[in-house]
Amino acid sequence: MSRLATSLLFVFLSAAGAQTIASRIASSADAFLATLDQKQRQTVLFALDDAQQRVRWSNLPTGFVKRAGLSMRELNATQRSAALSLVSSVLSKRGFEKVQQIMQADGVLKHNEGNNPMFGEDLYYISILGTPSPAEPWILQFGGHHLALNITIAGERGILTPTLTGAQPALYTIDGKTIRPLGQESDKALALLNALDETQRKQAILSYRLADLVLGPGQDGKTIQPEGLKASGMNERQRAMLLDVIWEWAGIVHETAAAARMAELKADLGETWFAWSGPVTAAPGANITAYYRIQGPHLVIEYAPQRLGGDPALHVHAMYRDPTNDYGRKLAAK
Amino acid sequence: MRTCLSVAILLLAPATGIAHRLDEYLQATILSIGKDRLQAEMTLTPGVAVFPVVLAEIDADADGVVSETEWRAYAGRVLRDLSLTVDGHSVIPRMVSARFPGIDEMKEGRGEIRIEFQANLPRGRRSRSLVFENRHQSRLGAYLVNCLVPRDPDIRIVAQTRNYSQSRYQLDYVQAGASTWRPGDGAGLGLLALVLCTRLAFLWRRRPVTGT
Repeated sequence: MSRLATSLLFVFLSAAGAQTIASRIASSADAFLATLDQKQRQTVLFALDDAQQRVRWSNLPTGFVKRAGLSMRELNATQRSAALSLVSSVLSKRGFEKVQQIMQADGVLKHNEGNNPMFGEDLYYISILGTPSPAEPWILQFGGHHLALNITIAGERGILTPTLTGAQPALYTIDGKTIRPLGQESDKALALLNALDETQRKQAILSYRLADLVLGPGQDGKTIQPEGLKASGMNERQRAMLLDVIWEWAGIVHETAAAARMAELKADLGETWFAWSGPVTAAPGANITAYYRIQGPHLVIEYAPQRLGGDPALHVHAMYRDPTNDYGRKLAAK
Repeated sequence: MRTCLSVAILLLAPATGIAHRLDEYLQATILSIGKDRLQAEMTLTPGVAVFPVVLAEIDADADGVVSETEWRAYAGRVLRDLSLTVDGHSVIPRMVSARFPGIDEMKEGRGEIRIEFQANLPRGRRSRSLVFENRHQSRLGAYLVNCLVPRDPDIRIVAQTRNYSQSRYQLDYVQAGASTWRPGDGAGLGLLALVLCTRLAFLWRRRPVTGT
């Protein structure tokens, strides 16, 4: 087969695949909306440019920071299933599993806090900004305590920034199975730190304490001066490990969008920094208690264990941003 | 995806606390540096356990209401607890705006006080050094300080240095197009001009006289 024919076939297959993904997501959105009554539909739908709704997310419980849209508690079983199917359609298998585990952790927290009504899997909200479409941009938001997914969907593209993930407890056991919703984020970063030589570690490890996220909720569009070790000073294996850490966030969204995002971040890798603050070891099977940040021209990742509630290994906040393209800003500019 | 918590759950976690800030007063500052001006935004979040201490300082008359007079006075006190120097010269931060949450929000550890301030920067040499120190509620404070990547392409950040608690932050940067003279070099320039003028006058008086 000639190179031209191969290229044409690739383009055709890509277009067909993209259409399938875009159509699948739009169909899931339509199916969810079809389960709602008129009042519920009004509650869940917002204008695409609704600036207030875009930023109505937080790491805090919904009793502290009110969310808008429809909570899982307000939906019947069919509606709830359709809502979660929509969320699932936009995410990768692992991404959706992570979301479920974060929600499950909040259920565990509720149980652990004497059935505290402030927590639990019912208190996650879904909202849609714009009109779901296989081609035109729209935004799906899903979140509650320790979770804020802001996914701009435009055809096959899925822009997952800004997104907050977290967990408390960040390690729990159900049916004999130990679950760490952000365990890979912890383990892979520590493995990267351990793969650095002494000179590199001196650059990567910051000499000061980081008590919290720097670019958490309410800090959209800001780019701070990067610090730590630049990936251009890493070897091939270390750079691959860095990309693998990044994948834990970039890979939350569906596979086609994740591949495009990873290609972008790989191209930026030479200008990407890795910084660490805090203990450089972790107990076997436990999460790190150190803060780390990965920052590039189109990326900010922060992993910030929290002292609140005792052991910082059991309470984690994490942030994933593209300061140049939060809420799909670049799409709106076109 | 409802989890049936009636299923036997073995929690490895000890009894967890609730989800808000507790025994620290988080004070996060983001600086933005320009050629002749520094802008900054402070976000102050008192933890639940330290809130009474913070409130006592804000609500001076202890009536349970934060009046405009009180929050203005408190914001001013926060700024007075800051120290800002550029190339060793002290500069004064001026409040641009302040936003206070409700007392209930702060009581629950979720209320963020936002204070924006700015400071004029004196002209200086090409390589500059800014030192920011925050001594506000130092016994309770957990500090974060960062600088935005400068929008002005003529400014390039060279180094950021902090103490462990981040109560002290030093920003070294290079400002293209700035004079290579130090601020105190004006006197030297005047002296040089005086010497040159004297020398010229001396030469003028000693010039050979020709003519008829």
